[in-house]
Amino acid sequence: MRQPTIALRCAMASLALSGLFVCASVAIAGETKGPGGEAATPSSALTLTDSEVAKIKDGKYTAALLWHTSSDFVNAVTAGATDEFNRLGMPVVAQTDAGFDAAKQKSDVETILAKKPSAILALPLDPVTSAEVFKPAVAAGVKIVLLSNKPKDFVQGKDYVTIVTDDLFQMGKHAADALAAAIDKKGKIAWIYHDAQYYVTNQRDNAFKATIESDYPGISIVAKQGLADPARAQDIAQALLLKNPDLDGIYVTWAEPAEGVLAALRAAGNKHTKIVTLDLSEPVGLDMVKGGNVVAIVADKAYELGRAMATAAGYGLLDKPAPQFVVAPVLTVTKGNVVEGWRESLHREPPQSILDALK
Amino acid sequence: MASPRASQYVIYVGFLAILAVFSILLRNEGFATPGNLVNIVQQTTPVTVMAVGTVFVLTAGEIDLSIGSTVAVSALLAALVLRHWPWPAGVLVGLGAGATIGALNGAMVAYGRLPSFLVTLGTMGVFAGVGRRLTDLRSIPIENDAFNGLFGSSAPFGVPSLVLWTIAAVGIGYFVFGETRFGAHVHATGDSADASRAGGIKVLRLRFAVMLMSGVLAALAGLLYAGRLNGARYTLGEADLLTVIAAVIVGGTRLTGGVGSILGALVGSLLMGMLNNGLILMGFQPSDQMIARGLIILIAVALTLRDPTR
Repeated sequence: MRQPTIALRCAMASLALSGLFVCASVAIAGETKGPGGEAATPSSALTLTDSEVAKIKDGKYTAALLWHTSSDFVNAVTAGATDEFNRLGMPVVAQTDAGFDAAKQKSDVETILAKKPSAILALPLDPVTSAEVFKPAVAAGVKIVLLSNKPKDFVQGKDYVTIVTDDLFQMGKHAADALAAAIDKKGKIAWIYHDAQYYVTNQRDNAFKATIESDYPGISIVAKQGLADPARAQDIAQALLLKNPDLDGIYVTWAEPAEGVLAALRAAGNKHTKIVTLDLSEPVGLDMVKGGNVVAIVADKAYELGRAMATAAGYGLLDKPAPQFVVAPVLTVTKGNVVEGWRESLHREPPQSILDALK
Repeated sequence: MASPRASQYVIYVGFLAILAVFSILLRNEGFATPGNLVNIVQQTTPVTVMAVGTVFVLTAGEIDLSIGSTVAVSALLAALVLRHWPWPAGVLVGLGAGATIGALNGAMVAYGRLPSFLVTLGTMGVFAGVGRRLTDLRSIPIENDAFNGLFGSSAPFGVPSLVLWTIAAVGIGYFVFGETRFGAHVHATGDSADASRAGGIKVLRLRFAVMLMSGVLAALAGLLYAGRLNGARYTLGEADLLTVIAAVIVGGTRLTGGVGSILGALVGSLLMGMLNNGLILMGFQPSDQMIARGLIILIAVALTLRDPTR
């Protein structure tokens, strides 16, 4: 969901390369950790009592959402945040899209401060320049809740309430478990990973590989193929299948290139090789419900990310100590739970084509 | 079509009308506060600076598509130099990068006799790539307070430095464009290169000069972004090209050359900034902000640039 554009990949690559990405200390050893090695707190642990909700409502607070881009993922996070803010009696007074431009994000912060929001939810575009971008909001006493990324030198509890992010390790691990289950824990698979300095995909890809290597001795990764441009996924998959015609499974780094891999399998008349990928997509989901090559899609709970962020804003407004680092849960979507999966991840019904195919 | 001068007045009236509408609709949302209005000027300063250069380029009958890439390269180079050297070195290297790119464009356009659209389309790509390669997509922080103050956050005599940069760029641009022989030659060349040549104007040298100027002003815009953000990043300026061209055209400069307006470009740039600001404060969703901005620009164009003879 967060990997569909070149611009995004480049932006995230820069974040990753800066070494300041919030989860820079995430180890591939098995769990997602915070920037200072903090243990992750599940987002479900963020709750407000009825009296706390009443207190927030009495405060007549307002909120603003400062996003990095517009996408399906952002829409779902926004929906989760807006619903929770409504529950807290906090109208969302402004929403912005920085279009991956740090200068625009700075202008957005300055602009929305004219509306004096009590809380801001934001994905800072760039750890290096974001400190300057969000400084006026900190100075104005606005409670800031961050998504995935931390401005340089910002201190939790002082400059921001908390950081909420995906459980990246679990996404990769769930994908490994799903593919292993689909091929009875034995066979040959290919690992198509994102060949770029892009933190989110790098962590997920490596978690998949590490899980297969440690937990599934019957499965061997016979082909490791990097992919830099999702538009070339079909070519790459064709070459891969030529060299390894007996593959039992393929892991694809995210849904867009998975569509290309699927096309290559179809062109080759291959119905045997199973695909597992990450992030919901209509073409991939449709193949899955029709009993094609795709057996599972692992997704994050974007709506829950938004809800958790809004709840965390409530913590900030009440001066209630918030966990330092919060992760939203992961979801494995298969044919059996596709409707619930779509609802849980994106908080909307699956596309009509998928609903029709389920009939 | 209304005369250029008359259409220019229309954009001023349009600007004031939109300002009035936002001030009324957003009277309780902080739009018309001095702080927010200064914000708009500060936010648009880099675009205004590039718009001044673009007025010269378009009026001379050329175009510079590489300004966005120049912004990023100059900002990143300045940031790299500022790690070890004092601020004048960073400024010199940043502006030097812009001058180099501008001179390269100018040499190919003037002496290579190549169309500026294609030349700068090429250099736009080249320097966008160079910007990415320079730091491997990393952002570079700038911790030089003098630089950050000069190009970003200082306020000598209570006036923010970015506002002063806007005044300086527009003031100097206005004078050179309207009051000097160079400015007159720019107009004449854009109007008719052959007639200018026959009249003794060194057309090739003039073309080189406007492209060079555009590169230097884009580099200055890069320094302003870097100072404002206390850092540089390869995406700086990436989205600015169309905003700059829109600001300049809405401000009454003719895309086909011969006619331009520095004050119009300033008003066009402020209009773009005011739309961004006002539409956010109105609580529009980002997609609705885009639609509303596009429609308002269309109306502005219809009012200022309609040509009944077409």
